[in-house]
Amino acid sequence: MPSISSHQARARRVDRIMAFTISGGGLLIIGAVLAMLLFILKESLPLFIPPQSRSLGTVQAPRSGGAWLDESGRAVVLLSGTEGLKALRLPEGSSLPVPSDGPALPWRTFTTLNSRGESLVIGADDRLSLARLAWSKPAGENDPSKWTLEPHWQGGLPMTTVPEEILHFRLLEGGGLGGGASLKVLARFKVGLAWAETTLEAATAPAWKTLGLDSSLHPMVGAWSLDGQDLYVGTAEGRLLDLDPETANIRSSSEFEEPIQSLGFALGQSSLLVGGANGKLGAYQRVRVNEVFKLQAFHAFPRLGGPVLGFQASQRDKRFLAWTDREAVVDHLTTERRMFSTRLDGQGLAALAPRGDLILHANAATGALSLWSLDAPHPEVSFGLLWGKTHYEGYEKPEYVWQSTGGSDDFEPKFSLVPLVFGTLKGTLYAMLFAFPLAVLGALYTSQFATPQLKNTIKPAIEIMAALPSVVLGFLGGLVLAPLLEHMAVEVFLFPLVVLILALAIAPFWGRLPLTFRNTFGSGREVLWMVPLLVLGLWLTGLAGPWVERVFLGGSYRTWLQTALGVTYDQRNSLVVGFAMGFAVIPIIFTISEDALSSVPKSLTSASLACGASPWQTAWRIVLPTASPGIFSATMVGLGRAIGETMIVLMATGNTPIMDWSIFNGMRTLSANIAVEIPEAPLHGTLYRVLFLAAFLLFILTFILNTVAELVRQRLRRRYESI
Amino acid sequence: MSRLAERFRQGGVFVWFSGTLLAFCLAMILSLVGFIVAKGMGYFWPRPLVLVHGPEGPLLGEITGHEPARGEETEKTQFHVGNRDIYGQDFRWVPSAGLGTPEFPKDALLIERLEYGPFMGRIISLSHEGIQVATGPAAMSGALDHLAETNRIRRHIQSVEKGQVGDLNRRIERLRLARRKLETGNDAVGLQALDAKAAELQSSYDQFQTSLEQSRAEAKAWTLNLQTADGQIKELPLGSVVRIVPANAMGFPGKLGVYLSRLWEFVADDPRESNTEGGIFPAIFGTVMMVLVMSVLVVPLGVITALYLREYARQGWLVRAVRVAVNNLAGVPSIVFGVFGLGFFVYGVGGGIDKLFFADSLPTPTYGTGGILWASLTLALLTVPVVVVATEEALGAVARSQREASLAMGATKWQTLWNVVLPSATPGILTGLILAIARGAGEVAPLMLTGVVKLAPSMPMDGTFPFLHLDRKFMHLGFHIYDVGFQSPNSEAAKPMVFMTAFLLLLVVVVLNLFALNLRRKLRSRLGGSTF
Repeated sequence: MPSISSHQARARRVDRIMAFTISGGGLLIIGAVLAMLLFILKESLPLFIPPQSRSLGTVQAPRSGGAWLDESGRAVVLLSGTEGLKALRLPEGSSLPVPSDGPALPWRTFTTLNSRGESLVIGADDRLSLARLAWSKPAGENDPSKWTLEPHWQGGLPMTTVPEEILHFRLLEGGGLGGGASLKVLARFKVGLAWAETTLEAATAPAWKTLGLDSSLHPMVGAWSLDGQDLYVGTAEGRLLDLDPETANIRSSSEFEEPIQSLGFALGQSSLLVGGANGKLGAYQRVRVNEVFKLQAFHAFPRLGGPVLGFQASQRDKRFLAWTDREAVVDHLTTERRMFSTRLDGQGLAALAPRGDLILHANAATGALSLWSLDAPHPEVSFGLLWGKTHYEGYEKPEYVWQSTGGSDDFEPKFSLVPLVFGTLKGTLYAMLFAFPLAVLGALYTSQFATPQLKNTIKPAIEIMAALPSVVLGFLGGLVLAPLLEHMAVEVFLFPLVVLILALAIAPFWGRLPLTFRNTFGSGREVLWMVPLLVLGLWLTGLAGPWVERVFLGGSYRTWLQTALGVTYDQRNSLVVGFAMGFAVIPIIFTISEDALSSVPKSLTSASLACGASPWQTAWRIVLPTASPGIFSATMVGLGRAIGETMIVLMATGNTPIMDWSIFNGMRTLSANIAVEIPEAPLHGTLYRVLFLAAFLLFILTFILNTVAELVRQRLRRRYESI
Repeated sequence: MSRLAERFRQGGVFVWFSGTLLAFCLAMILSLVGFIVAKGMGYFWPRPLVLVHGPEGPLLGEITGHEPARGEETEKTQFHVGNRDIYGQDFRWVPSAGLGTPEFPKDALLIERLEYGPFMGRIISLSHEGIQVATGPAAMSGALDHLAETNRIRRHIQSVEKGQVGDLNRRIERLRLARRKLETGNDAVGLQALDAKAAELQSSYDQFQTSLEQSRAEAKAWTLNLQTADGQIKELPLGSVVRIVPANAMGFPGKLGVYLSRLWEFVADDPRESNTEGGIFPAIFGTVMMVLVMSVLVVPLGVITALYLREYARQGWLVRAVRVAVNNLAGVPSIVFGVFGLGFFVYGVGGGIDKLFFADSLPTPTYGTGGILWASLTLALLTVPVVVVATEEALGAVARSQREASLAMGATKWQTLWNVVLPSATPGILTGLILAIARGAGEVAPLMLTGVVKLAPSMPMDGTFPFLHLDRKFMHLGFHIYDVGFQSPNSEAAKPMVFMTAFLLLLVVVVLNLFALNLRRKLRSRLGGSTF
């Protein structure tokens, strides 16, 4: 039989173990719960990490006039007039085999390779060919020595006059006769700029048409629009022109203020990048303003130190490369942010990899290739873009836009949180407008006037209301209340009025009833008398509604709204959300306010009543001010609930991210936005992180509201104890 | 005049005014709950089939809605006409004027089928393998006689498909994975053994298929020849009929029978027609399952935290701050918890588990996608403050004299806690748990991110090893409401069903809450604590 002391020792051991377990476990759980906040923040922080770049060194290569980086950044194809195509493995610089076909060397002239790997070449035999470079890679093969370069030479059409330089060309698929690709070329001749339209299969030489511009304008560079219908031309006088190529009519023009040196396009081929002879950088777009298409300067970038020699756009997002003799930069079109900048050691040619993560510079004199890597996972988001107005491509002016997904590959996601925050505030406001008076006055009545029996039935009823799942409220709001309100919008606004008139009409009769009757059945039981009155009011409103609509609103309130106020009516609107969400908020405000009001010390109310104040005067002047911190705290908690409510807004609004205070329109809130978009957001993508940021905001906002409420409540509790 | 001003100052009017607002609140609650109960419970009661002669010909259906004249709109009546395969839509609005006297033909039928919603019309004849057996009323009674048999066969087919065949499929899939592993290892002997096993499985699979084919043919043998109100003929195999309801010829007991059988189907059967018909058993099961797993997780979490905060931590500003923070977590929006669950549990922990233990089946995720475990964990985090607050309150309410008595007898702190404090705090902890369950059962937003689906192919618990499948996705009553009401292509026809689901959810949540609140009230009156 074990001794008592060993029993005691065991008990003490168990005690120590449990103390350790519970303390450790408790701290761990608390830590884990609070770490939630940190985790959500951690997931969203990479959005704000500045772009990282580093130099990858220099390799020796033959001199070249064009460079095309492969998507993986492991290979580059160089173009030179004397040697044709060359392929190098990166970053080692060892050469890779290249097929020997192509136009006869040396080439008369050629364009630099664009980011899709295309180049237009005029060979020694004066024939024009197009190269479309592509690497053929065995599946999953990362070693460039196992790849084969396929240049896909096309064309070979004869030329009668050979231009000095080909400035820009555009291949319009299906645009030529017989369904083939039509080719539009802009070139510089001794006499000036000229353009031609041909096909790659043509057997005859293209007919060049000179640009018949006013003699005061000296065109320097040009570029075709995406559909080939417009020709953008930059002049030595610093004017950017949008021309009709056939007639040389100026459709629209814009002032650039310094001679235009180079033109290029950002991803999507619709934003025109313009570089000046003195280093000015800007972006233009052709946009419809007041029904007319116009060239509009819509972004400007920090100036460079010399003439801008060229542009190259990423194929993934709106970043682009621009370079001069002395420096190369990568800017982001929409955010106007400079992501990368480096000094160069001489004149040459720069290229940006299709993913925008690798920058190459080929020195024209020595042929040396310098490489830099650029790591910027979320360049499309900046603090200013999330919270400010941003001028997006295709938009007339800077706006707050949330549009995370689009149809096409080159769609640019738009991440302004402002419409969502606006929607959240709007939904909360309408819900509080509805809930606050009902809940606070209801609580005042329950705590001060209701008989104890009545109080004991009201409180559980309201507590049940708090337990209603929000998905049920949302369902009722969206599928029952919304269609009902659509028919009865007039009645909703009429109902309080009708009840008021009814009450005023009945009041004198109540005053004539014997006092004993009034005291026995009225005092503390007003609620019970009002229920039938409300029902009667509802019935009368139902009768009066159509009449009011016919007589005052011309038969249909919707047309009246449209004509008189210029407001449209959405079926799932803020009114519906106000009711449904108010319903969720009322019990919260009611319960906390009622607790605060009921806890006002009896000594205060008794003193007031003893001084001859009426019960209402006591309630309004004494109880309400004393308990006002409690009501404030109730409102804060209610606000927190309304801000974060998801299912009700998701189901009872149209979820359109618009910014409009109208009660008859919907909105999209932060919380509903998360619920709608996060299931489709790719892991660790920009959208995913922006949504985590939204969740973080919600967390912080509600946490602060609740903490303030709790602190106020604690202070009030201490005050009650001291009275 | 001054008397009026005096009365105004005294404020009797305002008392009435505040009473009115309260009355409005109460009326709203009553009408909301009453509306859901009436709509939900009334849905299964067979309604009379009305035959009217509208402007577009005869119309047979249930009257489901009515809209009074308003502005330029005339008075209209909504008919549920069914026959989606013939008419293309289930409901029709018809101007009420000129409908004539409604008739209630005794031979009008509502036939619930597996596809295209209900059929409304009458039976012309009954055939067996293409040969007409009976016509008119005899066909009706014959159909009723054979319906039970075909329904039995159908249920048999379903259970075999779900049980044995599903089981076989899973085993074949497991073999395939094992094979893939062996193929990379070049194990010829092992491969042969596997192939032999696969062939065996395949042959038993084929056997099942032949016997199922036979049953299907049996179920198809009997066919009904039907006619709609406007004279169109429709042939329907008895095998795809669920229930025949001659609503106009039924008395109260018959209707009650239909009502109960529909109610049973709703509670105990699988959904059909993309959740708009049939039952919601998987959703009920999923909800219960998730809540159970959540309870298992939330009780230890909450109780340990409360014990630490109340009994072990040194009371100071830090503990007060932590307490406020934990309480305030209850006010953090549930969608934030969902986002955390998705990022941390699903992608973080789940992705890690997949890489470590289920690398074979990658890139198909096992735990790295939403599942009932992650949903329950997320909800456990969401409801932990509820349990902590309730437990702390219960611990605080245990009489000081009891603790001191125990300590004075020489018991250690833990012995006192375990033998004295916790037993008397148990009802309080239970209250917290029930409130947590009520909150958890009604939440939908976090589940949408962590594993709820509109239609789960299999339950999170079944007869195949290891019986409990916490990685599986599940169905949920609340999500069912959202999905059927808002994502379904035919939400008008599904609306009554949603009402019933909402009623069920409401019932669960309200009953749990009432129970917990009563328990709490009893405890408080016994212990004399105050809340504010």
